[in-house]
Amino acid sequence: MRIKLVGLICIFVFLFLVSGLFSLGVIHHGKYKELSEKNCIRLIPQPGSRGKILSSEGDCIADNSLTYDIMLIPQETDLLRRSLKSLAAILNIDLKEINARFKAGYISPSMPVTIMKNVNSKKAIAVEESKAGINGVVIQPAPLRTYPYGSTAAHVIGYLAEIDHWRLTKLADYGYKTKDKVGFGGIEEKYDYYLQQEDGGLSVEVDRRGKVVRVIGFKPPQSGKDIQLTIELKLQRLVEEVLGGRNGCVVIMNPYSGGILAMANGLDFDPGVFLDTSSRDEVKRIVTDKNALLLNRSIKGLYPPGSIFKCIVAAAALESGKLTPATTFVCQGSLVVGNNEFACWGKHGEEDLIQAIAHSCDVYFYKTGLLIGPQAIHDYSEKFGLAKPTTIELPYEAGGFIPSPLWKRLSRFKSWFDGDTANMAIGQGDVLVTPLQMVRMMAVFANQGKLVRPFIVKAIDGQDVSNYHRGSIELPFKKSTIDVVRRGLRAVVTDPEGTAGMLAALSVPVAGKTGTAEVAGKLSHGWFVGFFPFQTPRFVICVFLENGGSGQAATGLAKEIIEKMAKENMI
Amino acid sequence: MNRTELKILIAAALISILGILSIYSSTYCKEGVIWSAIYKRQIIWTALGIAVYLFISRVNYRKFWDLTYVLYALALLLLFIVFISGVVRLGAQRWIRLAWFNFQPSEIVKLVMVIFLARYFSRKSADDMSLKVNRYGMFRALILPFIFVAVPTFFIIEQPDLGSGVIVICIFMAMLFLANVKFKYIAFFLALSILVLPVGWGMLRDYQKERLLVFLNPGIDPLGAGYTIIQSKIAVGSGGIFGKGWLAGTQSQLHFLPESHTDFIFAVFAEERGVLGVLVLLSLYFFLIQQALSIASRTSDTFGKLLASGIGLVLTIQVFINVAMNMGMAPVVGLPLPLMSYGGSSVLVTYIALGMLVNINKHRAVF
Repeated sequence: MRIKLVGLICIFVFLFLVSGLFSLGVIHHGKYKELSEKNCIRLIPQPGSRGKILSSEGDCIADNSLTYDIMLIPQETDLLRRSLKSLAAILNIDLKEINARFKAGYISPSMPVTIMKNVNSKKAIAVEESKAGINGVVIQPAPLRTYPYGSTAAHVIGYLAEIDHWRLTKLADYGYKTKDKVGFGGIEEKYDYYLQQEDGGLSVEVDRRGKVVRVIGFKPPQSGKDIQLTIELKLQRLVEEVLGGRNGCVVIMNPYSGGILAMANGLDFDPGVFLDTSSRDEVKRIVTDKNALLLNRSIKGLYPPGSIFKCIVAAAALESGKLTPATTFVCQGSLVVGNNEFACWGKHGEEDLIQAIAHSCDVYFYKTGLLIGPQAIHDYSEKFGLAKPTTIELPYEAGGFIPSPLWKRLSRFKSWFDGDTANMAIGQGDVLVTPLQMVRMMAVFANQGKLVRPFIVKAIDGQDVSNYHRGSIELPFKKSTIDVVRRGLRAVVTDPEGTAGMLAALSVPVAGKTGTAEVAGKLSHGWFVGFFPFQTPRFVICVFLENGGSGQAATGLAKEIIEKMAKENMI
Repeated sequence: MNRTELKILIAAALISILGILSIYSSTYCKEGVIWSAIYKRQIIWTALGIAVYLFISRVNYRKFWDLTYVLYALALLLLFIVFISGVVRLGAQRWIRLAWFNFQPSEIVKLVMVIFLARYFSRKSADDMSLKVNRYGMFRALILPFIFVAVPTFFIIEQPDLGSGVIVICIFMAMLFLANVKFKYIAFFLALSILVLPVGWGMLRDYQKERLLVFLNPGIDPLGAGYTIIQSKIAVGSGGIFGKGWLAGTQSQLHFLPESHTDFIFAVFAEERGVLGVLVLLSLYFFLIQQALSIASRTSDTFGKLLASGIGLVLTIQVFINVAMNMGMAPVVGLPLPLMSYGGSSVLVTYIALGMLVNINKHRAVF
């Protein structure tokens, strides 16, 4: 009797076991399978390294060094406070600070919180060794962007930082994700797609102790492509040294190819600080400085060209045939145009074109401007590549502006007056150019009539791409036009009273034009744009000083640069 | 060799083979000579077990009636030896070191208790050949046998081997039930046990308390006491219907599962063979237990009846507790799965018990 009961009990016992088995193995199978995989499958990311940015000589201006990120997985640490405390001790951070970082970085229990970035290998090893005592700590190698030469060519290079909202919306379709490091400004931004590394990783099976048992899958990380610039590091550094901390910029270009040899801004910054979490204050200082430290003045700064513009007016007048080199005007210190008296900076008397360029006589060019009219000046300005970006491979290049009677009528509802023409003829009024455009304009005289396209990228991933950028336009100018202006530009230096007379003493024959562009209420901008050596030009240079007082200051810097270049046998 | 003997042998051997394969798998990835020898040892024990099975099935089980007190004394002696000079292993003193192996007396005690209680409750009155148990009062039906059970149980729990201790108490209750002891006595015993529970709780060691608490909520200590139960559930659950395949169970191969070749061999098996495999395994156990019960019901001899059904119940209890423990449905108490788990004592004793079953079946017609 009772044995039968026991038999029944046995059946129930086994049914109980079977139902338990179904619950685990069938109903909740998915959950346990996931848990089992989570137990033993780990993803070890292997970040690739971002492409390097090299100078023309092959020196790394932007490089990578290996550092480590220390992260904490909240759900895998049972004693969070203790883990944070021991991490704080090893990493030498204040406990409050580390708590704050954890709170700030916390997203969800399973997402690793970065406690410290860019830890050197010594500290990373210290953390690794004490890992047994701290649960949930992950050490991830992370190549760190470094800029071995500090702020050298900072504006050309740009900097790296965590992707911002605007860039993310723009780039999400190209596979960019939150927290990605992307380039801001310069080559880092423009060529981010090439420079960007492709992170790989290992998916491995680990045992209970976290020891890797076997590799399940592997995707090799892909390093970004290296980009070689036309920038000559030696020249760049020389120029930066001369420029010092002045508010201004220098551009040196090869007049034939358009390759940028140096592009320096006096007000610069260290691109490395943007990746260093410990230098937030420095970043804040850079971003909020009222002198716009991040601005690459050579391509983004828009300034009135002042007397530099006279080269274009002279060329326009010669081309139109309304002026010959022998045409003379008398400068009496000022000229009445309409109801206004337009002053010259001196009293030059009777001068021909070459003298007028050499002395930068305003009255001569007022008259020349009035002779050929505003539309001709506007048209020739465009022929020299003004009023539109030069298409150099740097982001956010400004186009500049050249006024015209039509524009004035359409946008200001006013008629064009002769006074406007006079102003325009000496590069004042509404004329706005970038220093790079001026270099490009000067190159036309240096290379006898070709409008080059400036470029700065020489090679991508070892492949020479400079040819793709060559698209120089042969300007349909008479040879005599170019020759006459060239002679004028040379006279600027050689004429005893030339505005750049101080350059005459140089061992290298220089030609060029100075400019002092008036700014309402502030000190004038100082310009010097020229090329050298005069007979076989190899360099076009533009020195620009924002609110630098006068062209003389800029010419002084140009002299210093050329002197040093000569000394270093670079010419 | 009659049919029953063959059927039981085949079922037991199949379980043993599954067990050896699982042991091989669970020690496959562990380095060292000791680990690679584990499954070989289990093969030897199984072979030995089968030999003993064939031998015992030819020894008249009534001999155990005669030897009951000798066996009881022997069991007590072994437990005492363990108590005095047990080999410290895994924090527990459960073994007696013999020439090349360690013997675990608590395994033998389980069987001896069944034999002892079967004899105790099958004594007949000399006058009318009726069972004395029907006329027993509270003392002779409950208290006296309990004292006989309590002495070895004390030693076992003191080892400490809570699992085996609990099993012995379960055996006692099962035997009371099978021996037709009055329900009110059994109920009284149960009530008393519950009353004594708080005292018993106080006597438990900390880790034992922890294990019981963890069973109620594995989350309280996921890396300590709760670890095993969580990993074991993951192993069983992740196996799914078809399993991950032999030698491919990540939970056991990668050592997430502790004690995977002994108490948690079931989880290893379930992970690699899946629900279907487990159903086969449970069917084999069920078959063995049904054989025991049917032999018991066919036997007219009360001692044989009690012995056979007692053996069946011991198997049931051990399988139930172990499997339930592997699936997180019972607290973790150190208890092997008969025939599957690694361990010579358990294998031998189980085969002896099965051999006795076969012999009871052979002699049932004699009386």
